[in-house]
Amino acid sequence: MDKNMKILVVDDFSTMRRIIKNLLRDLGFTNIQEADDGNTALPMLQQGDFDFVVTDWNMPGMQGIDLLKEIRKDDKLSHLPVLMVTAEAKREQIIQAAQAGVNGYIVKPFTAATLKEKLDKIFERIS
Amino acid sequence: MTEHAHDISLEQAKELVALLEAGQQKRANEMLDEVYNRRNDKLFTSVGQLTRDLHEALQDFQLDPRIVQLTEDELPDAQNRLQYVIQKTEDAANRTMDAVEACLPMADDMHQKIEQLMPKWQQLMDNNIELSEFKSLCHGVDDVLRSCGQNMPQIHGLMTEVLMAQDYQDITGQVIRRVIQLVEDVEKNLIELLKLFGDEAKKGAKKAPQAADKSQAEGPIIDADKRDDVVSGQDDVDDLLSSLGF
Repeated sequence: MDKNMKILVVDDFSTMRRIIKNLLRDLGFTNIQEADDGNTALPMLQQGDFDFVVTDWNMPGMQGIDLLKEIRKDDKLSHLPVLMVTAEAKREQIIQAAQAGVNGYIVKPFTAATLKEKLDKIFERIS
Repeated sequence: MTEHAHDISLEQAKELVALLEAGQQKRANEMLDEVYNRRNDKLFTSVGQLTRDLHEALQDFQLDPRIVQLTEDELPDAQNRLQYVIQKTEDAANRTMDAVEACLPMADDMHQKIEQLMPKWQQLMDNNIELSEFKSLCHGVDDVLRSCGQNMPQIHGLMTEVLMAQDYQDITGQVIRRVIQLVEDVEKNLIELLKLFGDEAKKGAKKAPQAADKSQAEGPIIDADKRDDVVSGQDDVDDLLSSLGF
C-alpha cells in the first residue's frame, strides 16, 4: 500500500474529519485533504489526483451516497476506491451503497482497528 | 325540548284538512308554515350550539398563553440551546484532540529514542559491550531520562486538559433536559389541538410516515435493539456485505 497516496476525507463535522485524519496518520498516511460535503468534494476529486475517498453518508448539500454515484458515473473517477464511514445503519442503505459500488462500509461508532482492517482489505483486493 | 315537540300531530293534521275543506287557504298556509318553522328551529339551535362550542374552543385555544409563549419565545430559544450544545460538544472534542495531538509526538519521540538504545542496552545486559559503546549508551540513557523528565509533566498537564474538557457533558445535559421539557409541552398542546379538530386530522396524519423512503438517511439509530431493519454493529455490516458477495 502506497503511504503517500492522496486521500480525501469527506464529512460535515470537522471533529470527525480530524479523528479520521489522525487515525490515517497513525497508519502512516500523511497526504490527506478534507471536504465538508459531496458538493465540495466532487470538484476537488475532478481536479486533483486523489487515490482514495473516505466519506460520510448524511451531509447537507450532496450526501455521501450521491457522491459515490457521481464518482462511479465519471469516467476519470470511476476506478477510485470509496470507503463509507457513517452512522447510517439500515440494511437497505448498506445494500444500496453496495449496489452503488462502495468498496467498504464502516458504521459509527468505529475503532482504529476496524479502519485499518477495511483499508487493508480494500487495497489487498485492488492490487 | 323533546324530539316529538316539533313533529306534526294528528290533531294538527286534522285541523289542516278541516281548514282546507272549509276553503280557508290562507289560514291553512299559515298553519303549515308554523309547523315547518318549529321543525327548522331545532336545526338552527343545533347548528348555533355547535358554532358556539367551536368558537369557544378556538378562543380558549388561542388564549392559552402557553401556546403564544411556546411559539414566540421557547421554540426559537430551544433552537439556540441546541446550537449551543453542538458548539459545546465541538469545542470539547477539539480541546481533547488538541491535547491528544500534543501528546502523541512526545510518546512517539520517547519510543523512538528507546528503540535506538535497545540493541546497545541488550549488549550491556549480556555483558558484551565495549567501553566506547558503553559511553555512548550512557549519553543515550541520559538523553532519554532528561526528555522523559521534561515530557512527563507536560503529558500530565495535557491529560488534565482532556479531563477538564469533559465538563461539556454536565452543561449540555442540563440544556438538553430543558429542551426535552419543552418538547413535552409542545406535545401536550398538539394533542389538545388534535382533540379539537378530531378525526379529520388523524386520517391525514396516518398516511405520512409510510411515504418516507427506506433508504433515506436517518442519522444515528438510537434504538437499534428494538428494530429489525438496522444492523447492530460492524460485524452485522460485514455479514450483510459478504452475503451480497463482497
